Amino acid sequence: MSVTDISYRRRFLASGNVYLPHIAVIEKVIDETPGERAIRTFHFNFKDEKLREEFTFESGQFALYSVFGAGEAPFCISSSPTRGDHLEFAVLQIGKVTNALHRLGVGAEIGFRGPYGNEFPLDFLQGKNLVFVAGGIGLAPLRSLVWNVMDNRDKYENIDIIYGARSPSDLCFKYDLDAWDKDKTVNMVTTVDRGDESWTGRVGFVPKVLEEVAPSANNAVAIVCGPPIMIRFTFPVLEKLGFTPEQMITTLEKRMKCGIGKCGRCNIGNLYVCRDGPVFTYAQIKNFISSEY
Amino acid sequence: MTDNKKISKSDLEGLLNEWSQEFTVFVPSQENEVVKLAKWGGKDTSFLDWYRNATTPAKANFFPPREEMFGFQKDKEGYHLELPPSDEHKQLIFGIRPCDARALAILDMTFKDAYEDPYYLSKRNGAVLIGLGCTNPYDSCFCTSLDISPVESTDVDLMFTDIGDQFLIEAITEAGKELITKASGVEEATEADEAKAKETKEASYNKLVKKIETEDIKEKLLPAFDNQDYWEGVAAKCVSCGICTFLCPTCFCFDISDELVKNQGERFRCWDSCAFPIYTKMPMENPREDKWRRVRQKVYHKYEFYPMNYSVIACTGCGRCIRQCPVNWDITRVLNSLPAKI
Repeated sequence: MSVTDISYRRRFLASGNVYLPHIAVIEKVIDETPGERAIRTFHFNFKDEKLREEFTFESGQFALYSVFGAGEAPFCISSSPTRGDHLEFAVLQIGKVTNALHRLGVGAEIGFRGPYGNEFPLDFLQGKNLVFVAGGIGLAPLRSLVWNVMDNRDKYENIDIIYGARSPSDLCFKYDLDAWDKDKTVNMVTTVDRGDESWTGRVGFVPKVLEEVAPSANNAVAIVCGPPIMIRFTFPVLEKLGFTPEQMITTLEKRMKCGIGKCGRCNIGNLYVCRDGPVFTYAQIKNFISSEY
Repeated sequence: MTDNKKISKSDLEGLLNEWSQEFTVFVPSQENEVVKLAKWGGKDTSFLDWYRNATTPAKANFFPPREEMFGFQKDKEGYHLELPPSDEHKQLIFGIRPCDARALAILDMTFKDAYEDPYYLSKRNGAVLIGLGCTNPYDSCFCTSLDISPVESTDVDLMFTDIGDQFLIEAITEAGKELITKASGVEEATEADEAKAKETKEASYNKLVKKIETEDIKEKLLPAFDNQDYWEGVAAKCVSCGICTFLCPTCFCFDISDELVKNQGERFRCWDSCAFPIYTKMPMENPREDKWRRVRQKVYHKYEFYPMNYSVIACTGCGRCIRQCPVNWDITRVLNSLPAKI
């Protein structure tokens, strides 16, 4: 399957200088969650019209986004390539660049380099039952794939989506959750760690809810993304449900600067998350030399 | 008659000046006990008397400690990005040691891999390396363990060997050959010159006493990876200053940052180091917060991960990490005392 190959991609459309960002303009800002560590989704488009038409990416790939003066940070492209009139990314407000991004409004210019990294293996997923397991902002990379799958619905079998957050107000992409909940071809399960007065849905940690929902491993692939602790507790549950390491896919996050396998820091053993990932199977992760992920 | 050439040491100044017409020439230069490859000032070849190796390796010529990537400026129409001007002349480095020349060949692999690094390669492509055989290596040098000769190199354009009042000159590349065919002061070498060079080379080679056992090093390292006790012991005295990585000729890690003054600014990159906790720090967690993990990363990157990715050990035995370490940490000791399986 394709995620086991280390394939180098050179889809960068710009001039020769790979570090020179494209200028993009923010077209819409969506408040996903409130609070000191708020999450926002940004819709944007390239300023250059030619690039707007020619730019392509795959679900699972990421990019380096700049706020000029504050710096660059990596985020996955959270929209689906099947929905083409703009691009999206979601940002948790937590550091220098993310705080600078959160200060930007519609019309503001950002820098964009990418797309980088590998993608979710669509060929491998086709004809299979898909189990999406996500926590918090970890839904961002998965929603690109979910919408991709939805837009080619007949190529895939059953779809389960198990998504959780700490509290009802921490649930991201509520408009997606509503849409998938209404879709009769999807089994949408939303859960929170702690409910509030108005919450009537499920309460419980994602791995536990996954165990309760107990999707069959037969002809299935689980795609997992969330906080590291959630991922670590989810894999054993999937194994218990009969999923093999080859049937579990995740996408990893690391501190990154270059995004293209040169600046050094995102390595796990000999692999660079930016260049050889970010999408890995659990089979690959189990074989990593280092457990530093 | 032989294939090789020679030049009298007193004619070197003229030769360097001749090359300065076409290249920006760099030679060893000393300031406050720090030896750098500095721009040739047009005279003074006295470095020949004291030069052993540069404190800062030649990587700094192609991958500077701090380098502007582009400038940015904002006006009514938005942001405009501008690349810094490129160098007018290519570099010619005189006096590079074989270890540091090999290191550049190793760095090339990273900077050419998958995506080409335009800043490094624009300086590196077309640059001329003139090697100078190392006749007085340090006690901390161990290049011969990495299959590098202190006096011979295939990674340079020309190789100079000290034969007394003269240098024997061997042309390694076509570019090197061209540089000396028309150069003034260059003569045909005799068989006696070559015999003298051979003698010097043998004597120099034998001065390398420090060794590491590199055979099967990859295989030996692997089972030691999870031996936390060993790595904690190895890392105990490390002060995480990063000097071993900054001065390492094959270390390439960098950081990217912005500087902004009013509405214009610059994005730059600067050397970074796996010795620093912040290097891998993320807002919620840090995979290498522990010092022993960082020290282990440094060792494995050079002797395990780089060979896995590029089939070459990312160490040239130049010994800088040993000479400059403030606490006397010694990579050869670490590699020579690897534990067997836990």
